[in-house]
Amino acid sequence: MNWLVQLRRQETTPLRFLSVLVLTLVAIVVTFLLPPVANSQLAGGAAITIVILGLSWLIGWSGQISLGNSGFMAVGAYAAGIWAHHHATTPLVFTFVLATAVGGLSGLIVAIPSTRLRGPYLAGMTLAFSAAITPLAQNFSSVTGGEGGIFFNTLTTPTWFQHLFSGPDATINANAQWTADLAVVMAGVMFFFMANLFHSRTGRAMRLVRDNDVAAELMGINLSRTRTLAFVIAASFAGLGGALFSLINATVRPETFPLTLSITLLTLMVLGGIGTLSGAVIGGIVYSFSSNLVSHINSLTGVNPASNLGANMQGIIFGALLILTMLFAPRGIAGLGIKLVNLRHSRVRLASDENVN
Amino acid sequence: MSSFLTSSLMNNIFGGLAQGVIYSLVALSLVIIWQSTHVLNFAQGAMAMFATYVGMTQIDRGLNYWWCVVLSVCVGMLFGGATERVLIRPLYGKPEINPIVVMVGFLGVIEAVTTGIWTSTSRNIAAPFSQIYFKSGGKLVLLSPFIIFQIILAVAIMMLVALLFRYTRLGLQLRASALAPEVARLLGVRVNRMLTIGWMLSAGVGSIAAVILASGSFGLFPTNMDGVFVAGFIAAAVGGLDSPVGAIAGGLIIGLTEQFVLAYWSPSVAPLGGMIVLVAVLMVRPHGIFTKSVSRRV
Repeated sequence: MNWLVQLRRQETTPLRFLSVLVLTLVAIVVTFLLPPVANSQLAGGAAITIVILGLSWLIGWSGQISLGNSGFMAVGAYAAGIWAHHHATTPLVFTFVLATAVGGLSGLIVAIPSTRLRGPYLAGMTLAFSAAITPLAQNFSSVTGGEGGIFFNTLTTPTWFQHLFSGPDATINANAQWTADLAVVMAGVMFFFMANLFHSRTGRAMRLVRDNDVAAELMGINLSRTRTLAFVIAASFAGLGGALFSLINATVRPETFPLTLSITLLTLMVLGGIGTLSGAVIGGIVYSFSSNLVSHINSLTGVNPASNLGANMQGIIFGALLILTMLFAPRGIAGLGIKLVNLRHSRVRLASDENVN
Repeated sequence: MSSFLTSSLMNNIFGGLAQGVIYSLVALSLVIIWQSTHVLNFAQGAMAMFATYVGMTQIDRGLNYWWCVVLSVCVGMLFGGATERVLIRPLYGKPEINPIVVMVGFLGVIEAVTTGIWTSTSRNIAAPFSQIYFKSGGKLVLLSPFIIFQIILAVAIMMLVALLFRYTRLGLQLRASALAPEVARLLGVRVNRMLTIGWMLSAGVGSIAAVILASGSFGLFPTNMDGVFVAGFIAAAVGGLDSPVGAIAGGLIIGLTEQFVLAYWSPSVAPLGGMIVLVAVLMVRPHGIFTKSVSRRV
């Protein structure tokens, strides 16, 4: 374990690239082993991972609390959806870039008044934003399709990928896995971006602004520009995640982005570990398989999943998890992991010290 | 006179005020908690909604409407006190994100549990007041006996809270523990108890807002306080989270704004109107209209 800790300290960009590449490849290998249903779930989780990366950056690294990231997701999703609906032949990459840019722009609009606010004011302000965005989408129903939303089918599996599959359900398997692989690769790319951002000059400036804004200002950091930048980056990650999420579901509807989605995002981020990269991945994995987890808990406690209580079990479990994590392990699963490694590391060092003596 | 009362301007003002007093109550309840414990309670709306469910569904068992109101408020107060003791007390002195996250989680739990118990179907709580609008010269006036009751009850509660804080011994202790907890403790005020009482008071005020909302045409359903909470928060932020007077004024401002946006633009963008007011106010005064500007200690 000692070499691992050493390696973490000397992290460089090529090393980060290598580790992200390995992790992404491992995830792709895993998609070959999973059934199509699990692959679809994994794809959704990868999209959510991208959103949580942005949220973790915003809350954990810049210290600005946002409950509006479901709103940014909705903006990105609608941008992608409206574009893909009218221009079905545009390359996917362009749609994603567009969603990222529009998401970032919405972040900028929200950030300009918001970065002057702190803590609870900011949280409430962003909550008001995400509460206002879906009614707005319903209002302009000629563009957004209103309550029913927009349907589009842009994710087409390339033929070479389909040839890898055979058997009666070949097409279903190929489609589900292509979606999952695409989402995993995108999550990997965004993870790499965020990992670099965390360790960049901007990332360090961001942490200083969070911990001591007066010191940061004395160091020559422009406070409002740094805070705004944090918002824009988080919003563009959310926009991209929202677009990917909608493309996976082949539809954008207002009900996909309720206020409770912001709670879910917050839960996943806190559960994984605020301000950690691995926490975002853990959050995404938890999201992917949360429905399995909930049905498992339902069967353990003997609650009928078809009953009224069973249908709401997910909300109860997520909320309770959020409270318990915050009260008893505020650094989340990633924090616990780091603690364990450090504990072990210090034990190893202690043992070697004794040997010297 | 009669044509004045039925004019669309007056009708919008009546509608805005009726909605505004509910926002004022929610904003006031948020301010009480903020003043005493510096926590923005994101579960405020949901807690009040839950208390209303427990209290008002007793009508089905034949309990009188007024006893149900009293029961709802009592349940709300107990719930508020218990929440402070169990969920908030361990978080004093922690980063400010911690209580926000915990209360957001609590919001999720309460709404899910309520839906689990009572389903998400909206139900009507019949108040002993007619909801039929008055007429003047054959035209509608947007006032009904129920709306008048709603406004009177809300104003009465606000005045009670004001009197309690200003003229009673308990109010003095509450203000002292909010302003200078250490000094208050030295002078023999049980500060921890005051914090719990502050939460109880706040939850009681919130429950009244939820009861009024549920008794009106809006109905009672597990998420019925979501929009009201957001509007109430906007109202509190517009007025300044430190100022009870600001909260009440903010509630009326937001209620009227939403009503006018709803009337002259579209109902679905009404929440946006409140947000624009908030942005406009916070651009000029980041701590709300009614607070003295504070210098931050470095």
